[in-house]
Amino acid sequence: MRHLSNEDLARLVEEAPSPEERRHLASCHRCVAELDALREQTEALGSLPDLLPPSGDWRELERRLAREGLVKEDGPSGTPGFGLGPGWLRAAAALVLFLGGAGTGAVLARNGGPEAPGRAVATVEAGSAEEAARILDDAEERYVNALAQYRRLTGTGSEEESGVVDPASRFAALEALVAAGQAAVRQAPTDPFINGILVSSMAERQATLRQISTASTDDWF
Amino acid sequence: MGEREEARRAGEANRANRGGQPSPPMPHPNERVEERAPAVRGRMSEAELIRRAREGDGSAVRELYDRYAPRVYAVVRRIAADDDTAQDYAQEAWIRAIRALPSFRGDARFSTWLHRIAVNAALQAVRKKGTREKRRVPMPETLPVEPSHGDALLADRLEEALALLPDGMRKVLILHDVEGYTHEEIGELLGVATGTSKSQLFKARAKMREILRTGTASDEAGGMEACGT
Repeated sequence: MRHLSNEDLARLVEEAPSPEERRHLASCHRCVAELDALREQTEALGSLPDLLPPSGDWRELERRLAREGLVKEDGPSGTPGFGLGPGWLRAAAALVLFLGGAGTGAVLARNGGPEAPGRAVATVEAGSAEEAARILDDAEERYVNALAQYRRLTGTGSEEESGVVDPASRFAALEALVAAGQAAVRQAPTDPFINGILVSSMAERQATLRQISTASTDDWF
Repeated sequence: MGEREEARRAGEANRANRGGQPSPPMPHPNERVEERAPAVRGRMSEAELIRRAREGDGSAVRELYDRYAPRVYAVVRRIAADDDTAQDYAQEAWIRAIRALPSFRGDARFSTWLHRIAVNAALQAVRKKGTREKRRVPMPETLPVEPSHGDALLADRLEEALALLPDGMRKVLILHDVEGYTHEEIGELLGVATGTSKSQLFKARAKMREILRTGTASDEAGGMEACGT
């Protein structure tokens, strides 16, 4: 007897089987297993999480809203337009400023350079949204450059010295970091530093996940 | 109540449960969107926010954005299957929504109303763009708001497989299995018969299963073959 087609099985995820299909399912483990997998797939699709928009999304939307006259120029926030961005973006900015200083410092210290000028970056105060955005861009660029240099300088050492660990261990470590970050955010939901750490940890975890996923050929069903 | 009306209400309730409550300003993994207390942001009620946003208050618009941007971006991203265009579509959805705020009467929940606008904006944009180039898409660069610990890898694989589906199948699968729309609603949104929506859904599920099992999308649409003897 032929097995049920994939489309018929997909229909049976939510519809009742005909008497003939029911008889077949009663005796065919393979079709039952396939139907179970389709049910799992459907359930998993219904549980997919929401997605954060790209980091520049709000600023671009802010400009468009202003251009189309959909918002007043002098909002209650007291800034032209209405501020730098959503909370998570502001928190990420705080983290980048911090890491920019730390990363630059790490590289310079390793090279016997002068005291890290990055510390000054972390204390910069912006007078406007535009200035804050510019400072953020500068800090981000410095951080990325410093990190690249740091990796170049440390990449020649042993695995232990260079801090390179296998992706699975790194993912597990990041999982723990994210969990700790979540707990911390629940304690202090509006703290930008803690939120920034969480955002950064999640992004790093996502990148590691992609690395693992790309390398893996296993099927999950 | 007729079957159609019952299905419509069930679909609306499903979507409201999935995204009815506002998102907090920061990602809060492991906390379902619907479980968040509105008081987390809670300086202003949603009705008050909408009233102020309607009058052009930028901070109120931003507050609405903070609450609902992940929900809007998620549905638009999945329909677009591409990060670059998704951002354009999401922006278009927000512009349309803010422009249409004076016509929002509160008959439906704001989240439901906004979600519908986002879906329509994305579907129209995809139609304009024409048939998407078939290609192997990279893993999404977007960051899930609430990845639960054990499911992050699964979610990534699902997102990747969704993006590999043919356009028609993907739209129906997203609207039905991810977003909870009924076949009647999908028929209205896509301008197709209810039966077409159903048959596309079953093909899409079978195709999705095939992609997840093999890692690739074959040219055959829909998995009509028997599973073998």
